Amino acid sequence: MRMIQLERQALIEQSSIQLPSLEETVNLFKARTKPTVAQLLSTAKADKKMLYQPRCGVGDHKEMVDLLRTLEGLSRPDILSVTIDSYTRLLKLDQASEALRTDPRKLNGYPLINHGYEKARELEMSIDAPLEIRHGSPDARLLFEVAIAGGITSFEGGGICYNLPYCKDVPLRHSLRAWSYVDRVCGKLAQHGVIIDRELFGTLSAVLMPPAISLAFTLLEGMLATNDGVRCLSISYPQGGNVVQDVAALRSILELASKYLPEGTAVYPVLHEFMGSFPKDVIEADALIFYGAMVGRLAGATKLITKSNQEAYGIPSVESNAGGIRTARMASAAMFDFVSIDESLVQEEQRWIIREVEEIIAPVLEYAQKTSLQEAIIWAFEHGYLDMPFSSSRYAKSEVLPVRDADGAIRYHSQGKLAFSRETQNRNRRLVSDSFEIKDLATRISQDIFFFSDGHYRARKAV
Amino acid sequence: MKKNKSKIILGVTESDAHVVANHLIAYQLRTNGYEVVNLGPCTSVAEFAEAYCWNPDASALVIGSLNGHALGDLKELLQYKEEGKIRCPVILGGNLSVGADKNRKDLEKFFEIGVDVVLDSINELLPALEHLNQNERLVV
Repeated sequence: MRMIQLERQALIEQSSIQLPSLEETVNLFKARTKPTVAQLLSTAKADKKMLYQPRCGVGDHKEMVDLLRTLEGLSRPDILSVTIDSYTRLLKLDQASEALRTDPRKLNGYPLINHGYEKARELEMSIDAPLEIRHGSPDARLLFEVAIAGGITSFEGGGICYNLPYCKDVPLRHSLRAWSYVDRVCGKLAQHGVIIDRELFGTLSAVLMPPAISLAFTLLEGMLATNDGVRCLSISYPQGGNVVQDVAALRSILELASKYLPEGTAVYPVLHEFMGSFPKDVIEADALIFYGAMVGRLAGATKLITKSNQEAYGIPSVESNAGGIRTARMASAAMFDFVSIDESLVQEEQRWIIREVEEIIAPVLEYAQKTSLQEAIIWAFEHGYLDMPFSSSRYAKSEVLPVRDADGAIRYHSQGKLAFSRETQNRNRRLVSDSFEIKDLATRISQDIFFFSDGHYRARKAV
Repeated sequence: MKKNKSKIILGVTESDAHVVANHLIAYQLRTNGYEVVNLGPCTSVAEFAEAYCWNPDASALVIGSLNGHALGDLKELLQYKEEGKIRCPVILGGNLSVGADKNRKDLEKFFEIGVDVVLDSINELLPALEHLNQNERLVV
C-alpha cells in the first residue's frame, strides 16, 4: 500500500496540476451529505428498482452546470454524467486548454483536468443526483485523481474496455497498468470507508457485440479490479436487439460475478440502451428507447444508461436528452406489470452465454497461473484467444465477425481463435444457418449493423 | 480460392476512424487467399510508406476513406511515390469527395495525387486486384 502512495506522488509531481492530499479527499467524502453512487445502487438493488442516467458533457464550466441543472429539473435522473472531451481522454491537455480559451463549444465534452478539482466539486454540489465520470481514456490516472479530489463517486472504464474501442496503438500493457493504478487508489480509499463505484464498459465498439465477448472482458476487468481492492462494480452490457438474448446476458452478470469475483464485492448489472445506429425518425427512436428500458426492467438491471431521440444526429439538445430519460422511465410504471418473458427461453440462452464466457476465459485463467492475470490477458489478445469484432486497436486481432440470426440475436459468422467447444460451435452454426437467405457477407453484416435504423428488423419480424 | 498468396497493405485514411468496412475488407481478402497487413483506421501516408518499407513484396496498397477527406489526407502520396517510398499500385475506395455522379474530372484529381485505381464498392476490390498485373489505370 505504500507503493501506491509513492506512485501517486510521482504522478502528481510530473503533471504539475494542483491536487489535495488523499487525506483531504477522504475527509471530503466523510463530510458528504448527499448519497454516493454506490449507496444509490445498493438501495436500488435491494428495492428491485432501476436507476436512470443520461450521458452529457459540454466544454464550458458554467454551461455544464446549467446543463446538469436543466436535466435534473426536466427529468430527475437518479445519477448524472460528466462526459469528458476527446482531448482530455488522450491527455492532450494543451489542445483542451486552447479550445477552452478560444471556443469551448469545439469540445465534445467537459475537460475536467483543465477545469480542475475545485470546479468538479462545484459540479457535484450543484445538483441532487451524484455524478459519474464517463470518458474513454486508455490512461485515466490524472482524470481519476481530479475526479475524486472533486468528490465524484463513480468512474467508468478499464484497461481493456477503454483501450480497444478507442485507441489505435496504445499497448494493452500500458492501459492495464494505468487502470490498475485507478483500482488500487479505489482500494486505498475503500480502506478508509470511501467506496467509489467503478463501471466497466462492456459496450466496447458498440457494433454487433456478441454478449459472451462483452461479459468475458468485463469479468476479467472485474477480477483485476477486485484484486486491486475495488469493492463496488457496475458491469455494463450493450442492448443488442433480441430481448431473450439481452435479458439472458444481463442476468448472466450476477451469475458470473458470484462464481468468479470475491465475496463481498457489490456488483450491479447495467444496461446501455442500444449504442449502434439509431433510427432517424423521432417516434421510432422513442420506441427503441422504451424497448431498451423494458429489457432492463425484465432483466432486473440496477441501472439504465438512456439514449435520446436525436441519437441519430449526434449530441442531443437538453430537452431531447431529458425526454429520453422520461420515455425510458415509463418502463418502470406499474401499468407494464403485465409484461413478462418466456423464462425457459431466457434460461436456455443464459446457460449458453455462461458456457461461452467460460470457454473464452479458460485459456486466460490457465495461463495466468504461470504469470499474472494481467500478463495472461495481454498474451491472450496477442494470440486471438481474447478477441473482439471491429476493434480500433491493433492489439486485438478482430478475427471474430458477428452476424444476427433469424431472430436478430447476435451470433458468430467467424469465431476467430476463441476457444469454443464443439457443442458451442455446433449450436452457433445451426442458429446462423437457420437464418434468412443472404447475398454477400458485407451486405449481410451491414444490414445487421443497421438493424434498427433502416427498417430491416420490421421486414424480418413479419416473416 | 485464390492460390497465390499475394500480400496487401490495407488501411483507412489519416483523418478517418471508420473501422467496420476496414475489418470486412480484411476478412474478405484473407478468405480469398491474400495476406493482409492491416494498418487500421487513422493511417497517415507516412505510415503506409513505412509498412511498404517493411513489406516491399506487397502487391498493392488498399486505402479506404469514408469521411470525404481522402484528397486532403492523401496529398503527400505522390511525393512518396516519386521518392520511391511507395512502389506498388495504390487502390482507393469508399465515400470519396467525388459526389454521386462521378465524372472523369473528379477522378483525375485522385490520379494526379498518385492513386492508381478508384473503386466504388467493396465488391469491386477482388476483380480489381486480379486486373492489377496488367499494370494499367483502371476505372470501374
